[in-house]
Amino acid sequence: MGSKGFFTDTTICIGCKACEVACKQWNQLPDDGLFFTGMSYDNTVALGASTWRHVAFIERPVALPTQDTSTDFSWLFMSDVCKHCKRAGCLEACPTGAIVRTEFDTVFVQPDVCNGCGYCVTACPFGVIDRREDDGRAWKCTLCYDRLKEDMTPACAKVCPTESIVFGDIDELRRRANRRVSDLHAAGLKDAYLYGADAASQPGTEGLNAFFLLVDKPQAYNLPPDPIVPTKKIKESWASLALGRIAMALATAVCVAAGGQR
Amino acid sequence: MNPVRDGRQVDPEIGSLLGEAAGQIAKNIEAAKTPFEVWKENPSARQQMSDEPSYYNRPLVKEPVWVWSVPLYFYAGGAAGASLALAAAAQLLDGRPNKLIPYCRRIGLAGVTLGSGLLIYDLGRPGRFFNMLRVFRPTSPMNMGSWLLAAAGSLSALAVFEIPGIKRFRNTSAIGAGILGIPLSGYTGVLLANTAIPVWQAASRMLPVLFTASGMASAGALLHFIDLPSREKTIARRFAMTGQTAELIAMFALERQVYKVERINKPLKQGFSGFLWKTARVLGAASLALAFLPTKSRGVKTAAGVCGTAAALTLRFSLLQAGRNSARDPRASFQQQRTNELHPGVQAPLQPVT
Repeated sequence: MGSKGFFTDTTICIGCKACEVACKQWNQLPDDGLFFTGMSYDNTVALGASTWRHVAFIERPVALPTQDTSTDFSWLFMSDVCKHCKRAGCLEACPTGAIVRTEFDTVFVQPDVCNGCGYCVTACPFGVIDRREDDGRAWKCTLCYDRLKEDMTPACAKVCPTESIVFGDIDELRRRANRRVSDLHAAGLKDAYLYGADAASQPGTEGLNAFFLLVDKPQAYNLPPDPIVPTKKIKESWASLALGRIAMALATAVCVAAGGQR
Repeated sequence: MNPVRDGRQVDPEIGSLLGEAAGQIAKNIEAAKTPFEVWKENPSARQQMSDEPSYYNRPLVKEPVWVWSVPLYFYAGGAAGASLALAAAAQLLDGRPNKLIPYCRRIGLAGVTLGSGLLIYDLGRPGRFFNMLRVFRPTSPMNMGSWLLAAAGSLSALAVFEIPGIKRFRNTSAIGAGILGIPLSGYTGVLLANTAIPVWQAASRMLPVLFTASGMASAGALLHFIDLPSREKTIARRFAMTGQTAELIAMFALERQVYKVERINKPLKQGFSGFLWKTARVLGAASLALAFLPTKSRGVKTAAGVCGTAAALTLRFSLLQAGRNSARDPRASFQQQRTNELHPGVQAPLQPVT
């Protein structure tokens, strides 16, 4: 078993959306309606209850240093997915225990337990998980739990024609990713860096099981610069509640005692 | 046989639905349409290099999916918790025959019962509400709240109804309900703070205090409507005024806390949520002023109760709406989830492309 995950190398993504299609087909997800957004070639817009892979298309008026273009232009693609955080906001917020950590170290929502409270939706710092209104439950990428149990590669990684999405053991993926970054730096693409590869670079989530190689700021890909799981900061809020409780108890006692003497 | 129009394009006579999302119910496929306005201008052309880029201005975090019943629950639970606490305090400290105690216990039981109903109404699968008590999970304020609600509800029911056989536990249960009532009125503040919604997270310190104070104000406002003997009337009036004052101060302190971060404060200043927030402040101040008047007039007291109740409700709806508006602004989310201005949490230096 061990920790499994994805390494998504955005520099070799060609924006074919085969991952989106394979995900929909394997998991038998319903479509989300057909519409045209004008946001480059991205008509999927965002991850959601019925969209577990989303390819982002970023058009920039600057060239990449390793590319030779007639005009200043570069087109970045990134196949986004649930990050299966080491410390998952959705899992920690889930009041029913429907969201669990699997034997592959991935985060899984049990559809037969979820009661659709919607708390995980607001707890995810990446805006991944969502509740489908006509279904009533929260859904997100399962990292193909059913395929992993059969020792198969998740559908999106299996179908990716350029190996932009690589599935494997986290440690192995990290080694591969670090090699790739040094290769890119050597080739002149100094902007290449890893997003969420380990706890040291992303303490807010303690590392992502699905991490990325990016060449622009995280915000350009609609990723938070320093994602932080809400529960990491929540101690101060509980402390405030404790103080508030004491104050209220005292105030109530004073009201009763002082009022009674009249 | 017609293929089922559920957006899967799988004919059930040929293919079988076995995928991990095969159970996902999809009814509104035909109605699905562009979720936002497009083609007013070319969104790709607007993408420029900037210090703070965004992805076509699309939101980063998801908006809360909660409907109207959740802020109503915040109100009902808050008022119930505070009145259970007042009932317990009166029982412990006053010790004289008291009309206030049964009233407060009944408000508590009614609030908890109504609140549970409102929470269940909001669930995507209301039939599974009992799953809330399937685990005990201290990292989830919603789970903690469910346990609090269940415990305070049961104890207040024991305190209100004369159940044969366990009648002698009535007063003990009432004290238990009172002790649980205080966190019950404030935990919802922690619940909102424990999210990725920028404005809620930014207010994490003040939200629990605000909800505790506002619960007190809500319970006090309800007591304005009740006819009590003069000594107990004084207790209730003081309780209401203390709560209302605390609510107004907590609102002010919350503003100060949120206003520190630029962009994140917008929902409390602008739009519908900002309007509701300001309305809550005016109504709260009005309720306090009316309660302060040294008159025995029934009308003035009722008006104070109406204003206080309206303030508490408006406040909660304004906070939910502020959360929705806040989630829509990707740059507010980026700002909230950043520890270092220059270097957004990456090891390799990230130079602006020139």
